[in-house]
Amino acid sequence: MVLTDLKQGDTAIITDLSKVNILVQQRLMHMGMIEGVQVVTKRSMPFGGPLFLESHGQNISIRRNEASRIRVEQL
Amino acid sequence: MSEIALFGNPNTGKTSLFNHLTGSYEYVGNWTGVTVEKKVGLLRDKKNHLIDLPGIYSLKPLSSDEDVATLFLLNEKFSKILNIIDASQLERNLHLTIQLLEFAKPMIIGLNMIDVSNQRGIKINETKLSELLGVSIFPIVARSGKGCKELLNSLDSNTSKNIESFKIDYGSILENKIEELSKLLPSNLNISKRWLAIQYFEGNEQVKKYLQSFIPENCLQEIYLDTEKQLITTEALSSLTKFIHNKRHQHIKKITSQILVKTKTTKPTFTDRLDNIVTNKVLGIPIFLTLLYITFMLTFDWLGFPLADILDGFISGPLTNWIMALLGLIGASAFLESLVIDGIIAGVGGVLVFVPQIFILFFAISLLEDSGYMARVAMVMDKLMEKVGLNGKAFIPMIIGFGCNVPGVMAARTIEQPKERLLTTLLTPFMSCSARLPVYALFVGAFFVKYQAFVVLSLYVLGIVIALILARIFSSVLLKNETSVFIIELPPYRVPQIRTLFRSTWDKGKGFIRKAGTIIFAGSVLIWLLSYSGPSGFDVPMNESFLAMIGGIIAPLFTPLGFGTWQAGAGLLTGFLAKEVIISTMSIIYFVPEANLQAFMATQFTPLSAFSFMVFVLLYVPCLATVVVIQKELNSKKWMAFSVFISFFIAYVLSFLIYQGGKLIGF
Repeated sequence: MVLTDLKQGDTAIITDLSKVNILVQQRLMHMGMIEGVQVVTKRSMPFGGPLFLESHGQNISIRRNEASRIRVEQL
Repeated sequence: MSEIALFGNPNTGKTSLFNHLTGSYEYVGNWTGVTVEKKVGLLRDKKNHLIDLPGIYSLKPLSSDEDVATLFLLNEKFSKILNIIDASQLERNLHLTIQLLEFAKPMIIGLNMIDVSNQRGIKINETKLSELLGVSIFPIVARSGKGCKELLNSLDSNTSKNIESFKIDYGSILENKIEELSKLLPSNLNISKRWLAIQYFEGNEQVKKYLQSFIPENCLQEIYLDTEKQLITTEALSSLTKFIHNKRHQHIKKITSQILVKTKTTKPTFTDRLDNIVTNKVLGIPIFLTLLYITFMLTFDWLGFPLADILDGFISGPLTNWIMALLGLIGASAFLESLVIDGIIAGVGGVLVFVPQIFILFFAISLLEDSGYMARVAMVMDKLMEKVGLNGKAFIPMIIGFGCNVPGVMAARTIEQPKERLLTTLLTPFMSCSARLPVYALFVGAFFVKYQAFVVLSLYVLGIVIALILARIFSSVLLKNETSVFIIELPPYRVPQIRTLFRSTWDKGKGFIRKAGTIIFAGSVLIWLLSYSGPSGFDVPMNESFLAMIGGIIAPLFTPLGFGTWQAGAGLLTGFLAKEVIISTMSIIYFVPEANLQAFMATQFTPLSAFSFMVFVLLYVPCLATVVVIQKELNSKKWMAFSVFISFFIAYVLSFLIYQGGKLIGF
């Protein structure tokens, strides 16, 4: 499954980031969001806006289309 | 005296620490990238300089503010590195620390936010960490200044040595290649060759450029591809960048497993609870718009307007009388009296009246920045910005642009995607900066007394709408082959410290006061002189002055827009220096007793042409300072010229449509 399949408040582990835009991928890496790391979808912005994610105590926001390229495994 | 460089991730309290250690001020940013320039401060013990660098996640730059840090390491001389680490985000922060350790200069670590990490149930064994990294570590709380004294003392001591001992083993393949590349470099380099090699393999573009001055490009490329190929076949990894990152990550995990003690599980924080409200699906956008509206009303209506009125009363009443009395006392000539009263007081005073309003606006912007809300605004507005081909981060330069376009344009540096950065830089000048506010105030006071706030609000909204429409057009026509991306860190909320807030406001606002004493003062004297003299000598009627002649030359250009008078022409011409100068010019030209001012302006403008004039002033050309900064930021005269041309063109067309259209429907 991919990150956008998760419901609000679900926790998952990132399994594959390779399909994500390279700039976003590198930023995610800088913020410690790499394969094997836990992520929680906290909420999403209206009208198909970006997702609000949490990963080990830090909050970040990325667009839905990028999130849909992140493969995850739900916990 | 030597130089110490301050490095750290964004949102780690780097700027707070800088302020505590140097005493000299510099504003605290809570959203990624407020510190966009290299800033230098004198340490409190007056022994060394501290250089504040932009917050970065890694030495491998992704955006142009991050280039600054890498270029600094490559080209500048300094003696020591001070690395600030956010204790509550240790793993992420250590990635940068390791890259800095590999640079092999003397280094000291300030472990910040130990209070926050304790609250979150994380305890760090600092002695052990210091042992593992081979550098001294000082626990601090940068916001309160706790621990900063000890840190300061250690910065001065010469005990710290180069750290040769720190080394991560990147595996035999990469280690061999690092060796191979190092051997190609000249022996007299004073930068660590190992560091250069690792950064190059990681994909650092700036380091690559640097290496190209010693090693032919094809040779460099060959080593890189060969290394990547070997690693991909043996390690089954997608890229060299990722391989290096993973190696560091493993090392960090090993470190943290020895020094981190989790004491309790975390409960929802203040940030979580606040985010539940302000980034709520339904309430998010309305809350943002409400905050903007409150800011706007505070600036114009509720607080700013009465304050400006009081100040105006003081300047045109008692102050003018005192100065007149003083001039009479020293027996000043009519020339000098006119220069002071009609020129300087009218010109500079006419602008200074707006100081309260401008400071209120800057205060509100500082509050948004320091609290951490700015990043949320970027997230909440991203969908709208995506529709016009930009991303939510572009909204931040625009909001800062409401205060002043110059820092707004500079704030666009944090946007990763070059195309989006270019567009944001070009469009930020359409945000109605505080210098344009005096012009609106004068005109709405004369023509739209009942609808003051509404008319001014419509101008602000117009600026935003024009910027969004242009973004849509430019992104689909001029630069269509790049995808837009958005990723932003949402830092924890912090209650802004009053002292920081006031100093931050003052820092932004003092430029306005300085301008009043320099450009506007000089401009006022010049404009007065031009209005006082003419072909037939001095003290001529205003209509026969040089100013009237100059303004008259360009006036016909503006006749179709409804303000083809020499007064308007002269004002717009001088307004290029700084938009406030328009008001200085008008104050000097229309210098008549207060009661008659509005009647006098009514002979020159109708409400319709006054509105058309305000729209023109909003859009026509960025001021001189903004044009210069656009040229510097984009490093292109072509785009600078484009920015000037496009804004003039749009201003002309729009004012034309408003005036002619308005006349047609009978205004």
